[in-house]
Amino acid sequence: MRTKQEYLIKYKDGNLYCELADIWIDPSKPVKKALITHAHFDHFTFGCEEYISTKETAILLKERVGDNIKIKTFEYGEEFKINGINISFHPSGHILGSSQIRFIFAEEKWLISGDFKLQKDQTCKQYEIVKTDYLISECTFGLPIFKWDESNKIANDISKWITNSPEKTSLLFCYSLGKAQRLLNEIGQTNFNGNIYSHGSIHKMNNSYRELGIDIKDTIKIENKKKIDELKGSLILLPPSLSKGSYLKNFKNIQTAFASGWMSIRALRKRSGYDKGFAISDHADWDGILEVVKKSEAKNVFFHHGDSEALSKYLVEKESINVLLFGK
Amino acid sequence: MSLKKFSKLFGDLDSINSTNNKIEVLKNYFLSNDPIDNSWAIYLLTGKSNKRFISGRYLKNLFSQIYEYPQWLIDTCYLKVGDSAEVITLLLKNKTNSRKKKLSNISLNELLSETIPYLSKLNEKEKNLEIKNLWETLPEDNHLIFNKILTGTYRVGVSIGLITKSISKLINIEEEIISHRLMGNFKPSIDSYEFLINKNINLQELNSKPFPFLLANTIEDKIFKNSINDFQFEWKYDGIRMQLIKRSGNVSLWTRGQELVNESFPELVEKMSHIKDDFVLDGELLVWNFKEQIAFDFSLLQKRINRKSPTRSIQIKYPIIFIAYDLLEINGRDIREIKLENRRIELEKYFSKWQIKTENNISDIFKICDLIFPKDWPDALTYKEKSRENNTEGLIIKKKTSIYSSGRKKGIWWKYKVDPMQLDAVLIYAKGGSGRRAGLYTDYSFALWKDNELIKFASAYSGLTNIEIKELDKWIRKNTIEKFGPVRSLKPEMVFEISFEKIQISKRHKSGIAVRFPRITKWRKDKKINDADSLENAYELMKKIS
Repeated sequence: MRTKQEYLIKYKDGNLYCELADIWIDPSKPVKKALITHAHFDHFTFGCEEYISTKETAILLKERVGDNIKIKTFEYGEEFKINGINISFHPSGHILGSSQIRFIFAEEKWLISGDFKLQKDQTCKQYEIVKTDYLISECTFGLPIFKWDESNKIANDISKWITNSPEKTSLLFCYSLGKAQRLLNEIGQTNFNGNIYSHGSIHKMNNSYRELGIDIKDTIKIENKKKIDELKGSLILLPPSLSKGSYLKNFKNIQTAFASGWMSIRALRKRSGYDKGFAISDHADWDGILEVVKKSEAKNVFFHHGDSEALSKYLVEKESINVLLFGK
Repeated sequence: MSLKKFSKLFGDLDSINSTNNKIEVLKNYFLSNDPIDNSWAIYLLTGKSNKRFISGRYLKNLFSQIYEYPQWLIDTCYLKVGDSAEVITLLLKNKTNSRKKKLSNISLNELLSETIPYLSKLNEKEKNLEIKNLWETLPEDNHLIFNKILTGTYRVGVSIGLITKSISKLINIEEEIISHRLMGNFKPSIDSYEFLINKNINLQELNSKPFPFLLANTIEDKIFKNSINDFQFEWKYDGIRMQLIKRSGNVSLWTRGQELVNESFPELVEKMSHIKDDFVLDGELLVWNFKEQIAFDFSLLQKRINRKSPTRSIQIKYPIIFIAYDLLEINGRDIREIKLENRRIELEKYFSKWQIKTENNISDIFKICDLIFPKDWPDALTYKEKSRENNTEGLIIKKKTSIYSSGRKKGIWWKYKVDPMQLDAVLIYAKGGSGRRAGLYTDYSFALWKDNELIKFASAYSGLTNIEIKELDKWIRKNTIEKFGPVRSLKPEMVFEISFEKIQISKRHKSGIAVRFPRITKWRKDKKINDADSLENAYELMKKIS
């Protein structure tokens, strides 16, 4: 086995880095060249000289942070070369534009999964199985207690939750990019036909999604001084950051819920302080991670983002897959 | 009614935070289900059934065995979830989609009066097979309830008080009456439910009702301007506040939380029923050290509180006493409007009469509180400081001319508590919590300096806010030196102010001292570990007290 210095991709200062191409993946500090897997802020930082991403990710990023960044785009599957390394983006099913990134150098394949899910989601391209020698995978939900229900079931639960309390205003907290639009798409297919409002940050992303041809239900941007009667029985989508603090005082007679994979655990649900939790996630569950590891045919696997101890031990013991640790 | 509906009730109660809404949900549930299932629901939700058919450990082993699942993986999941029944429910998801016909309409009654009793008749092998079979035939959304019934673990934030309130709303009858009806050996049956919702109240039920309690306020400086002679002084006991009622020959014990606790203290009920007069007494229940004539620690009382029908040996091991400090009603005459000093005279008069006239000796379980007579306010302060010696928490100061009103009324009763003892200590170990705190490191151990070594001296898990807990949890994960199972040893860096009630020599601890009720009172981010206290400081504190 080689030492970690010889790996094509390694951890450097807490970030994934390919030395041969002098390129960083989702770096958390300004660098010269950054590959961006998707447009969530925890995968993006200002100040890089050059960004490279898919076309959709670039559009969403510019919508969020302004046009003032230099960003080069490629289609899914389109190969480009940096210092002799072949690089390509492949759909990861996390949100619109999200991608896995494959590196090929001297016939050796590396795959960075990015954030991914296998579940059906009509607001982005389905996860593509990509074969590789080395896999670097996220494992946010790397325990077998995490098993997602079909998203239409969750959407129906949400619809029932709202319609069962017609006298209340239902506030559903969710991430503004990706989760919100996926929920809107799913809720659009349920029996719920009341009004849906969304917070400015979500509203902006909704418009971008529509412009990119994604079918999501119409929403009204929430104004600060809405009449209470008008909001009765309707659904309001808000980012989680507004759940604590004075913003909620704008509403009367509310019920609150949080849409997140963590809500499948009762203790976390109770502690979160929301009335209700809907367990829906844009990350893979346990079975999803195992499926990707197996189908990628990777002989060597690394994990990042999450507690990977149990998952690694399981793969080594049960599946005889070589799980490696990054020197961080 | 099906088990499904009960599962739904459980889920609804779990996702509602407002008490009023919970009551509404319960009320509707009772209205739309038949009496037998309602009575089972009450039985389960109030924790009347503490029965555990199998342990959480057994459940986890069984799952591991049936589905060839590594035990360590289940244990890792448990750390995140904090409840065996829930872990297994989550792991069972999508595992049991065999083509077996589903038992979708099994009723709560059927499950509890037939299926589960049948399980306990089987030998281990048959039992395991049967549980597996039930897992595969019960619809998935009933698994949690089923596993919880098996392991006897209910915590849905539904107290007996909530059930009482919802039945009280349902039939429009006062809560105290319902409380009384719910008391005792509640056997689920159509009759027991019909009795519970009977709209006719009988006399005996009316007779058991307590008065609203009068509560003490924290001491205010302005009291010291008054003459010391205006007040009555008592020790503040650290027990359970209680009204002891005897009317028409029946004794009832009511806690301040409107709970009837006759069953936990049968010896007191029995003794008091020998007194000829009827009365309502206000006082404190304690576990009593008869040799030294002081109260034992509250921790011993805890051994009695949650135990119904205690055995004779428990009664001897933890002997209780009721210390009365007020008389509110005597032979049907409500005397709450009489001045405290006169009520005290009545209390003393009747107590000495009862001591002489009652057939069985009552003074081994019942007495009236001693009064203290400080000559001035500085003297009162001296008494207060001495209160640790007799295991009390300080003083209660009552205005002699006051009447017994209700609630935390100002200017009538004050509590004058001893200050807690405090040391600054270094966090050295953390352990994962369970239940609501699962997945977070919430149980902490703290150390003091001995020369250049940090020696563990106390463990605490209360006192931090939820935000602080999360922050500390993050820090713990980043600063772990070593893991031993659920425990992590930590880089010594964080200093906390630990408060406690008592400090004494203990040979069982490496530090040589033991403290009572340790709790975190401040996260001393301003202090470095070298600023933390030493064991020597702790010994000095001990000397100062004794």
